[in-house]
Formats: sequence, C-alpha cells, structure tokens
Amino acid sequence: MKASMPAGRRRLAKSVVATVAMGVLLAGCGGSPAATPNSTAAAVDPKSAEGAKGDITICGGKDASGIHKNTTAAFHKANPTMNAKYVEIGSSTDQQRTQTVQRLEGKSTECDIFMMDVTWAPEFAAQNWLLDQTPVMEKIKDRLIPSTAQTALYDGKYWATPFYTNAGLIYSAKGKVAKPATWQELYAEAAKAPGNGLVYQAQQYEGLTVNFLELLYSAGGEAVNDKGEVKIDSPETREVLRFMADGIKNGSADRAVMTYKEDETRLAYESGNFGYERNWPHVYRLLNKTKLAGKFDVSPLPSFDGKSAASGVLGGWNFAISAFSQNSGAALAYINFATTPEWQKHVAMDNSQAPVNEAAYSDPEVLKAMPFAKELLASVKGAKPRPQSPVYPQISQAIYKNVHSVLSGSASADEATKKMAEDIKTAQDSF
Amino acid sequence: MTSAQKLAERPRTFGYDRAERRLAVRMVAPSLILMFLVAAVPIGYAVWLSLHQYSVRQAGLSRFVGLDNYLDALSSGAWWSAFGQTFTFAAASVSLELVLGTAMALLLNMTFRGRGLLRTLVLLPYAILTVVSAITWQTMFEPTLGLVTTVLRGLGLPGGDIVWLGESGYAMAVIVLADVWKTAPFVALLVLAGLQVIPDEVYEAAELDGSTKWTTFINITLPLLKPAIVLAAIFRTMDALRVFDLPFVLTRGANGTESMSMLAYTELRENRLVGEGSALSILTFLTVMAVSVIYIRFAGGNIRAAAQEKQ
Repeated sequence: MKASMPAGRRRLAKSVVATVAMGVLLAGCGGSPAATPNSTAAAVDPKSAEGAKGDITICGGKDASGIHKNTTAAFHKANPTMNAKYVEIGSSTDQQRTQTVQRLEGKSTECDIFMMDVTWAPEFAAQNWLLDQTPVMEKIKDRLIPSTAQTALYDGKYWATPFYTNAGLIYSAKGKVAKPATWQELYAEAAKAPGNGLVYQAQQYEGLTVNFLELLYSAGGEAVNDKGEVKIDSPETREVLRFMADGIKNGSADRAVMTYKEDETRLAYESGNFGYERNWPHVYRLLNKTKLAGKFDVSPLPSFDGKSAASGVLGGWNFAISAFSQNSGAALAYINFATTPEWQKHVAMDNSQAPVNEAAYSDPEVLKAMPFAKELLASVKGAKPRPQSPVYPQISQAIYKNVHSVLSGSASADEATKKMAEDIKTAQDSF
Repeated sequence: MTSAQKLAERPRTFGYDRAERRLAVRMVAPSLILMFLVAAVPIGYAVWLSLHQYSVRQAGLSRFVGLDNYLDALSSGAWWSAFGQTFTFAAASVSLELVLGTAMALLLNMTFRGRGLLRTLVLLPYAILTVVSAITWQTMFEPTLGLVTTVLRGLGLPGGDIVWLGESGYAMAVIVLADVWKTAPFVALLVLAGLQVIPDEVYEAAELDGSTKWTTFINITLPLLKPAIVLAAIFRTMDALRVFDLPFVLTRGANGTESMSMLAYTELRENRLVGEGSALSILTFLTVMAVSVIYIRFAGGNIRAAAQEKQ
C-alpha cells in the first residue's frame, strides 16, 4: 500500500509526520515552567575587586541629577588604575528597560553594570543575565537600610546592590492644611475646602500601582507574599479601593489625578490650587524654586487609619553586574566605592537622592542640604518592595488597570479586587 | 501579432521560448528575492514566533503551542475590547476626516490670493510628528492649566470642568480630534488632486443646463471625486486601525482607548511574552488586511466604474 503511493504524496506524508513529530518533541521539551532561575548562575567573588584594573561601563537612564557623572569621576580619582564610563541608554524608564533587555538578550559585552529599577531583578535573574551578588551583599548588608537590600533579593539570593533609594512623601501647604497623621485624616482635611485637595499619580501606569500599594501596605494589606501567594483579595484591598474612589467622588482628590503622572502632579500643585501632594523627594528642590517656596511642609507617608503602621513603596536604583561583563572585578570595585558611607553622603548632598546608608541621614552636612532627611528616612524605613516576581510587569498591569477602573467608576471595588487577584494569578502562570 | 497567436505558436519555438523564459526568471529573480526578504520573511518569522511560547521564568526555554496563543487572544476580553475600541476610533476619525478633508479641498480649489501659500500651510499639521502633537493636545486638555479647559471655563461654556482624558467617551473624543486635526489636511490634498483633474467643460455644461451650485456638487463633483475619496478612505482606515502613538501618549490605553497595536506592544515589549504578542500582531495584521480587501472589493469596483464613466 505504501509502495503504491505516488512519490509526491509520499513526500508530503513524510513531511507531515516530521512536522507533527517535531511539534510533539518541542512541546515535550517545554515541560512545566520552573519557578526558580537556574542555580548555576555565576556568583561574583568578593576578592575579585582587589587589584582590579581597566575600564568599565555603567549603562542606565538619563543622568538628570548628575549623580553618575560625579560618581564615575570620584571613582577614577580614588582608583587611578580604573576608569568608569556612564552611558545613557534611554530617556525614560520604559526605554531604558527595553534597551537593557536588548543588550542582555544579545549577550552584549558593552555594559558591565546596568542600573536597575528596583522591580527588575527577578525577571533578569530568571534569564541568567545577572551575576549573583550574594557573597558581596553578605559583606556590606550591615551598612544598608534593610528594606533597600530587600529589593535586590529574589529566590534567596541578591542579584544587585542598592545605590540610592526612594520613597513617597506628602507635601502639605502651610497655613491651609495640617500635616497628616493618617490617610483618613488627610482625605477629610482635603475635602473641607476647594483649595485643600490632594493630587497624586493615578494615570493608568506603574505610578498608580505605587500609589495604591502605599495605601494598601499602610492599611495592613499586601499584594503577593514572600512565598509568591496572591493575597490581594482581602478586605483591606476593598477598603482602600473604596476609600480612593470616594476621595475622588467627594473632592478630597482632584478628579484630574486620573490623568497625572509625577510631572503633571507637580505642575498642578505648583499652581497653588491644592493642599496636599503625594510625590517623590526630588520635588522638594523644584517646589522651592516656585512661588510656594518655604510655604510647604514635608512629612513621611502616613498610616492608613492609625491602627496599622505607616508604610509605603520603595523606589530607587540598584547596580547589577551583567553576566556578560568582561571586567566584573572592576565593576565590583565600583559598586563597593559607590555604597561606602562616605560616598552615600555625597549622593544626598550633591544630588539630592536618598542614601541607602542610614548614618548618612543624620549627618549635619546632609541635613543642611536636605532638611527633610528625617522625614525621608522614616518613609524609606517603613516602605516595602513591590511584589518580587519575574512577571512583575504583568502583575503591575493587573493592579493599575483594575485600580483605575474603580477610580473612573467603571467597576466596583469588589469586582476589581476579584479581577486583580485573578489577573495576578494568570500572570504568575505565565510559562 | 496578438498575444493569443503568440501562445498558439509556443510549441513550435520551444527551445527559443525556454531560453527566453529562463532569462525572464533570472531578470525577475532579484526583485522577487528582495520582496521575499522584505515582506515574507518578517511576516513568516512573526507567524513562527506566534506558534511558540518563550519562557519568562527560565532562561532559554521555549515550547511549541500551535494555535494556543491565538485561541487565548480570541477568547480574552482584552482583545475584543481593543478590537471594538480600534474600530470605533477608525469609524469616527475616518468619517470626520473625509468630510472635513473634502470641504477643505473644495475651499483650496477656489481661486483667491495667497492660495499657494495656504495650500502649503494647510499641510503643516501633517508634517508634525504624531507624538509631538499628542503631547501638545495632552497639555491643552490638562484639567487645571490646559488651554482648552481654561478657555471653556473662562467663557462659561460646558466642558471646562471635565477631565477630558480621564473619562471614557471624552478620552476617545480627544484622540479622534487629535487624529482629525493631523490627517484631515492629508485627505484634503488627495481630494484636491482629484478635483483638479475634473475638466472645466463639465461644469460649464452644467451651468448652461441651469444646474444650481448644490446639484452640481452632488451630481457632478462628488461622483467624479469618488476615486480620490475612496483612495483617501483606504489609506486612512488602514492607518487608523493600526493606531498606536495617540492613545499611548494621551491615555496609556485607559478609559476605553486601548488599541489592538497597543495591546500587542504591551505583551511584546513590556511583558516580553514574545509568542503571545506576536499572535496579537498577526491578528491585528489580518484584521487590517481583511478590511482593506473588503474596501478594494467594494470600492475597487467604484474606482473602475468611475474611470469608465469618465471615458
């Protein structure tokens, strides 16, 4: 029967069989998705920094505050045998991430160190793109604020070293509104008069995830726990969502926040039409250049209702060493230099960024340059990382899309909470 | 000698014919290969990617999943809402652009001083980068400080206290407005070109027959303009169905403005779900293809009919 098959058809049959077989084979290869990165990822040797020499390149976003220019210059001065160069690979965080991914996918040796947003480490570690920095971090961990070190942790290992951190602050107009002790108080005060309102970031993007989690963490809720279990379907989530939606309905927060990112928030507040602003520390310096100079107070993020501790969400940037770096010893020397208590003071004094070293906050010189250092430290120490997962971008989308739909009134708090939990689980099931 | 005769003679000049055909193949080959490399290879590669899943959890892991990515997309609410929103956007913006563009073309076709200058100026919005104009529109509709909202409030008109980009419906309206502002001039240019090939004699004859301006427009100008308008409609619809930059800048897809392309971008770029994102890109591509085929089947007849009428 087979022999009588015309040659053409036989060839076709063969190729069909081959294709099907290949499909089955490939499907077999896939297997079940493993949740952990390869344990074979190379670790950096802490000793490799000693006697290291040569050139290294640090790749990151736009150096707006000049922090990287200063650090590379000071590093060369302190270590004449080594030369560090900073390369800007993107003007926005999104762009920077795309560029970083492209270089790592292509195993480029161009960058020895990548500046990493605090949410990136798990994803990149899972792809074997980073050197394991655990041995190094164990040595310097003691001089770092614990919460900042946590942002580099994934699967029990450290994949990065924090350079500078970040946490939200509340700016309140002096004479108009009181410094808030709780979010409830803040919202009540904000609703009292038209000029008292709150502005924050509620456009459908990463910033909304941060703004929502700040309230959720303060209310004692969480999104995903340390074990990766989804905990967002909780009474706390419902309460916070209702609270935020009511705030927009009754005028505590201006309706326009649904179109605001950080810059829009700052500009709206600078108009003088609002009482409160939730934003990052860099706003302090900018606000002092406007007509509101000296007319505002800074406070750490408040607790939700006084029952649970005040909390927030950590921002900031970490150093990761590329798995394809040709000079990881010098890269490590650079990281060691940038995280010394001495240099961390400069991070605050010269560039107004939040140090990862606690002692820096009480340094007299720092306090002079950054009068709100005490409030900032309180915010940083209370803050927690965002969910740490290789699929973080999807988890964040699940959060901000559903929060936005509650704020805009197209979904109820209950519906959105259930959907959020569902969407996060779907994200976690990604292959 | 007609081509039919040529065909009939084929067997007799077989050797010569074969050599000639081989030459033809060789002559055409470079452009065929180029076409293949430029068009077929990337699309084929995207199709190949869309049949797989690439692990975001473990390095270098991938698996063949057949049509799963497509089935997942087609059974998801996200795809269908993006589909509906993209078509809403396309229908609203293209129809407004056609009406306004035709009106602009009629005005520009009249004789007046400074016509040449105006024709150039009118194209200005089209020359501006979409992202730049989107950012400008965003600033203008900013609720507290924006030009539009401030002016509306100042004049006591409704709309001054609306958060335009923060509400469903209004957000889509701003995106449609931004698109119409930018591309109506492009439609005007295409229609203007169509207007200029209508011979004056037709109008003179109509005038002699006592036709009013309106009936002339309806019965003469519009039918003769049909090919140009249809062409503009095809161009604009294909562009509108692929819209990405306007919603990306103005709303990030919030408030019912996420387009099919944005959805594909999010999966591909932000989530690095290469297989799933490729499937969405292919679906978008197929949708746009299907719509253009429908257009050409319907309107293609129109173009031919119009061309015949003209003869």
